Amino acid sequence: MQARLVPGQVSVAAFIEAGAPTSHRAFARRAALFLTIGAALYGGAYAAAEWLVYRHAQRNRFFAVRSAPPSRYDHVILGASHSAAFDYQDMNARLERMTGATIMNLSVVGGGISVSRLLLDYFLSRHEAGSIIYVVDSFAFYSREWNEDRLRDRRLFARAPFDPTLAWLLLRNPATLSVALDYAAGFSKINNRDRFAPDVFPDEATRFDRAYRPVDQIDEQRLAFLYPTQVNPAVFRRYLAQFEALVADARSRGLRVVVVKPPIPERVSRMIPGEARFDSALSEVLSRHGVELHDFTHAGFDDEFFYDTDHLNREGVLTFFEYYLKDALLAIR
Amino acid sequence: MLFNSFSFLAFFAAIVIVYYRISHERRWILLVAGSLAFYGAFRPAYVLLLLGVTSVAYGAALAIDASADPRRKRALLALGVASVLAALFVFKYYDFFVATIDAGLLTAAPAAAPVFPRLNLVVAAGLSFYTFSCVAYLADVYAGRLRSERHFGYFSLYVSFFPKLLAGPIERARPFLAQVRRPVSFSDAGVTAGLQLMLWGLFKKVVIADRLAAFVDTAYRQSVFASPADLLLATYFFAFQLYCDFSGYSDIAIGAALVLGFDLMENFRRPYFSTSVPEFWTRRWHLSLATWFRDYLYIPMGGNRVSRTRQAFNVMAVFLASGLWHGANWTFVAWGGLNGLYHLMWPAAAAVGRRLTSILRLPRAAGALVAGLCTFHLILVTWVFFRAASLGEAATILERIARSAPRLPALFAARVTSGEMLVSLALVAVLLGVEAMDERRSIWLRLGDRPVYVRWAAYYALLFGLIVLGTWDLQQFVYMQF
Repeated sequence: MQARLVPGQVSVAAFIEAGAPTSHRAFARRAALFLTIGAALYGGAYAAAEWLVYRHAQRNRFFAVRSAPPSRYDHVILGASHSAAFDYQDMNARLERMTGATIMNLSVVGGGISVSRLLLDYFLSRHEAGSIIYVVDSFAFYSREWNEDRLRDRRLFARAPFDPTLAWLLLRNPATLSVALDYAAGFSKINNRDRFAPDVFPDEATRFDRAYRPVDQIDEQRLAFLYPTQVNPAVFRRYLAQFEALVADARSRGLRVVVVKPPIPERVSRMIPGEARFDSALSEVLSRHGVELHDFTHAGFDDEFFYDTDHLNREGVLTFFEYYLKDALLAIR
Repeated sequence: MLFNSFSFLAFFAAIVIVYYRISHERRWILLVAGSLAFYGAFRPAYVLLLLGVTSVAYGAALAIDASADPRRKRALLALGVASVLAALFVFKYYDFFVATIDAGLLTAAPAAAPVFPRLNLVVAAGLSFYTFSCVAYLADVYAGRLRSERHFGYFSLYVSFFPKLLAGPIERARPFLAQVRRPVSFSDAGVTAGLQLMLWGLFKKVVIADRLAAFVDTAYRQSVFASPADLLLATYFFAFQLYCDFSGYSDIAIGAALVLGFDLMENFRRPYFSTSVPEFWTRRWHLSLATWFRDYLYIPMGGNRVSRTRQAFNVMAVFLASGLWHGANWTFVAWGGLNGLYHLMWPAAAAVGRRLTSILRLPRAAGALVAGLCTFHLILVTWVFFRAASLGEAATILERIARSAPRLPALFAARVTSGEMLVSLALVAVLLGVEAMDERRSIWLRLGDRPVYVRWAAYYALLFGLIVLGTWDLQQFVYMQF
């Protein structure tokens, strides 16, 4: 092989010249030994990553399900970021005190129906529940971004402790096959850049105590981020069917299902495209299964109760609990 | 199928296993088919463009070789080169040129509508690289340095060989085609050396470049809101991001080729250890492109054997062309122009430096260190143009950094506090440490001298660096866009 470098430099090709050609077999034997040692080291890294998960994980929903001793919860809350705020700081403990009920919040920021379904299935594999409180957001029915894509987000599982049940749930769903391999191999856990950071939602850590001052441009950007310019009817039908299947399955297991629409400022609710059509389709599904809907969209919460365009802040969540959600939960206990 | 993806690793492993199990006569078929599949994975239509450019260059070279008439040869060369470059122009430069013309017309008559239609074509990945390979091949055939290749499969492999297809090195045809013909048997040392290079390249890309990219992208995306300290830090980081990204790609490409028994051109030689701007460009940075411009533009224009004015013109032409090659944007033209100016002014500046060194009686090493730091910072200024979205943005960033210069050390110290920042700085230090060792004696030879447990420990350190610290969200290689 010809080295093609200036004199004085040593090329990789020249280095090769130093080694005599060897057989595939000798190389394969050394490669196998190298890989075996590597696998053992990887196992060590996996164990260390798992230990860090148990040491630092807090809000990760898979961690919550896995680490809690098997028991019966009165309510399981499912939904996206609007209901994730019900678990920020000490909010869930407060709601439990207000209602005297045990509650596990499994809401995930940006989590649509597919994500909720996975979490519910996983939850029910270890625990029992009396009712499901599903906090719906119409945007989660309009795009795969909040569903299949979010399910494939490796960060969702970076702090999920290993559990064969969860691995199986991921494996049997074609949408999460690649995630299943990643989860089983623990790659995202070992590779997690936030391995030493506290496990809290970013908004929980930085903005939850603030009050929002409306800015038109920010509102428009937020709505444009959440809602597609044009709703694809087939996509909407698909996620509505998934939602209906979730409700039907929960009902068949003897769980009570309550659907909640969270409060948002009137100004923002007027900006949401096609909400009347969504409400009508949702009501139709819920009435088919005898599920009650509590629509708090127009509960009159002003911007002072929000930390951004549409998320309740601490005061907003407490007010919502005290005057609305508490009664709804007490009624179904 | 990016080099930093698991799908590429699986694809490459499959190619290597089959490659060493079939006879030499069939290997070109495997490599061409694999290369086309690799390219088609990005966008299947690209394959047609690749085959079109390959066919044109193949046919033109045969015609040039067959012709005895010098004028006809020259006409065929011009036709072949123009045809190959036409693809590059249409995909990469047409919209830029018509937008520039339209902007000029709109300045003259603001109410006028754009005159020229836009094509809005997506630039085919690697187009600049393989068109330049074809141009080099045609020029070599024309100059008699090489006979035209009659085997279309071999020639296709030269153009499309997957390790170098997307971002080079811009390999020359003669050494490559000779290697295609030469039977290769499995070499333990060759495969090991190739895998070493791939591992180091992947480390540079996934661990260093992509980690720095997050900081650089944030600062440059919102340059108006970023603090001057952040902009300066992002610019320093960009210098290393770009280097690790591109040299990482080159290492993976050269390493992958080595595993298959091919020796590709070296592309980088520890560029930030340059002690002069000309050294940076002619002996250390993107060598396959630098030598391409030298061999196929600078020397044909007269090179050094012309008047000093003409030589200066040639240098500027080469640097401006190099800038434009990188992208259809005035920022790249400015980047090329600035480097051209540095190149021209360096001899005078070096003379002043030598005089100062002798007056101050600085030791030779200190003089080299000062020259190296000057070179690095001069190049650093040009990277602002390379990274910024527009000339205006580049000017604003430089102005904001310059205005805050007296406060920068304090701002800088306050900024370097987060763990993420410290890890980034530590990785840059590791890179420079490894390169400093490599500068004295090849790191691969050093490693080869060590006992097996030391070598393996080094490999495991790199592997676990990739796993624990790597950014695996499939960021594209910067140079693929060119």
